[in-house]
Amino acid sequence: MSKIGLIISREFTERTRKKSFIITTILTPLLMIALMAAPSLMMVLGKTDAKTVAVIDNSPEQKIGKSLESGSTVTFQLLDPSVTAGQARTRYGNADSTYGILVLGSDVVDNPANIQFILNDAPSMSVEENIQSQLQNAIRQERLSRYDSPELDRILADASFKVGGLQTVKNNGNEDDSAAVEATSSSASFILGLVLGMMLYFILIVYGQQVLQSVIDEKQTRVLDVMVTSCTPFELMMGKILGIAAVAAVQILIWGVLIGCASAFIMPALFPADAVASIQDADVMNIVSKFTDTGFILSLFIELLLFIVGGFLFYAAMYAAIGSAVDTPQDAAQFNTIIMMPIVLAIIVMMNIMNDPNSGLVFWCSMIPFTSPIVMMARIPFGIPAWQIIVSVVVLYLSFLAMTWLAARIFRVGVYMHGKKPTWKELGSWIRMK
Amino acid sequence: MSEPILKIEHVSKTYTGHKALDDVSLEIPQGSIYGLLGPNGAGKTTLIRVINHMTFPDCGKVFFEGHEISDKDIFQIGYMPEERGLYKKMKVGEQAVFFARLRGMSHYDATRRLKQWFERLELDEWWDKKVEDLSKGMAQKVQFITTVVHEPKLLIFDEPFSGFDPINANTLKQEILGLRDRGATVIFSTHNMESVEEICDDITLINKSHNVLSGPVQEIRHRAGAGSYLVTYGCDRQLFLDSIKDKVTLIGEAEGVLGGFSQQKIHIPETCNLKDVISVLNDNCDLRAFQEIVPSMNDIFIRAVNGTL
Repeated sequence: MSKIGLIISREFTERTRKKSFIITTILTPLLMIALMAAPSLMMVLGKTDAKTVAVIDNSPEQKIGKSLESGSTVTFQLLDPSVTAGQARTRYGNADSTYGILVLGSDVVDNPANIQFILNDAPSMSVEENIQSQLQNAIRQERLSRYDSPELDRILADASFKVGGLQTVKNNGNEDDSAAVEATSSSASFILGLVLGMMLYFILIVYGQQVLQSVIDEKQTRVLDVMVTSCTPFELMMGKILGIAAVAAVQILIWGVLIGCASAFIMPALFPADAVASIQDADVMNIVSKFTDTGFILSLFIELLLFIVGGFLFYAAMYAAIGSAVDTPQDAAQFNTIIMMPIVLAIIVMMNIMNDPNSGLVFWCSMIPFTSPIVMMARIPFGIPAWQIIVSVVVLYLSFLAMTWLAARIFRVGVYMHGKKPTWKELGSWIRMK
Repeated sequence: MSEPILKIEHVSKTYTGHKALDDVSLEIPQGSIYGLLGPNGAGKTTLIRVINHMTFPDCGKVFFEGHEISDKDIFQIGYMPEERGLYKKMKVGEQAVFFARLRGMSHYDATRRLKQWFERLELDEWWDKKVEDLSKGMAQKVQFITTVVHEPKLLIFDEPFSGFDPINANTLKQEILGLRDRGATVIFSTHNMESVEEICDDITLINKSHNVLSGPVQEIRHRAGAGSYLVTYGCDRQLFLDSIKDKVTLIGEAEGVLGGFSQQKIHIPETCNLKDVISVLNDNCDLRAFQEIVPSMNDIFIRAVNGTL
């Protein structure tokens, strides 16, 4: 086996054999499933007993107070109008039995500000929202009824509508649009792009840091000094980067399978089919339909793979160079910030993509290798021209080669240096060193 | 003499504001055990790092078997650094096999030879243990084995005996001698002078980044001791002094009295004939023994470092 092969296999077996690897590999998908399931769980667990609210309605005929309907959050208890607010305060002042006292002024229909809510307990947003919306409806109804027009309800119902998602279609240049490809709406593309971009972000940082840590560890344990007569610094650096890449690949694959299984077997249980069917949101339907399109999934997967591999190698080379130049993780922090800057910039730019996926800023950020893996992955769901993707990939891989060459030069010198943290100037001189 | 395996010519190296090596030249003969001596911070480790291409000299050259040393030649060197480095979490045996394979051995050969070495150094039961479970001395033995198992031409040990008990240090010495006998050239840096006398063929003494003393150990010791002798005599001290006082200088006071005899260290200047001194002593002073004093490497080291050699 070649030396790089040996280093890769050592790095790989040592890492995958660790308990922490096995634990994170299994726990992460569980955590993600828990996060996805959290909202529905919260709804079940967050349910509390309905709060009792005593209502004093001073308006004529107590119409508003009578129209308040008790539900799962609030139980209304309409008091006799003869009871004054002051009397109610003492009589219904026990927080255990009564949550609060709602006092509606006599002119509440004309002056909705004349409503007082006396609390015995801590304020609750859901209770307040419930009361507000019920009062809103009741007062509105009361005001409308003054016009005595039976048509009014129908007119109002007819006039209230909402423009939903647009039917977006890609122009195929033909008069006949029957063969036109349905284009993804911007918000659906954005959500998909966001997920892909964040995935890249996560992979670059987590595994890039592992490369950094691995090089620093090797320096601290002085194993490097033993390695010097065994392999070239370049072989060592590439072996480490590729070994960690292999670990990442296996881990991501396992996650993919676990999450796939989970969504096939666990999700339907959490979100029953009739609940999903009832989703009217065009965007969600759009994404769901996209994911049944094998061709789309396949090309997306290949692009994802290209950018993950290229982006990781590009950043890993930088992380390796930094790891070689410093002695401790603390010293690495300053250089680490510099690496993080383009990654964070890419995330900010990614948020801008929804406005215009072809703006100058977004375009250039998806070409420059420091930001391109994240930004381009976020752009791809919008359906951008193939040449842009190809150029971006080619630039990324060429930059990876250049960065590796540069990193190898720093690595070669830095890896045997101990002592104080080098300055930028020194790093520069290492690159120029023969 | 055959071509030296390693030749260092006028090597200088400056770290920020500190000169670590200043115009150091030396030759290391093929098949010898070569001691690199010097006080702490003299530049020994820097010299080793220059040889290993871990750092580059500001000027000067290093030749390996007659040609300027290249990255490829480095792989012919087995190097055990002073600060030992092993992967702590890895199993001992696996790690040793990994390093051996990295140095070009097949999996089969590596395992077989390593098992032999482990048995010889009484480490066999530790094969499947993790490195972090080893004691310091055991870890050093493992480090030693991984350095030599692929039988490199040139071995460099930086302070190989530090941290060993006398028994293990002796085992290591025997192994180093064995490696030399099988054709390897061994360089080791140390300030353990006893080991230098016992096993080194040649030495270089580096002090304050300069090469202050180089050559075969025996030659250096004789040269340093030239003219110093220990005389054991039976006559009266005054008579002894009167007989030789115009020929030699005394070193120190009269020493230990053995069975009524006295001992005195003397120094005979080059201008004076050794035979004359002996005959005078023999005739007048009941001479019992007359022997050349060969200074220990320890003495030479201290004198060289203090500049009194």
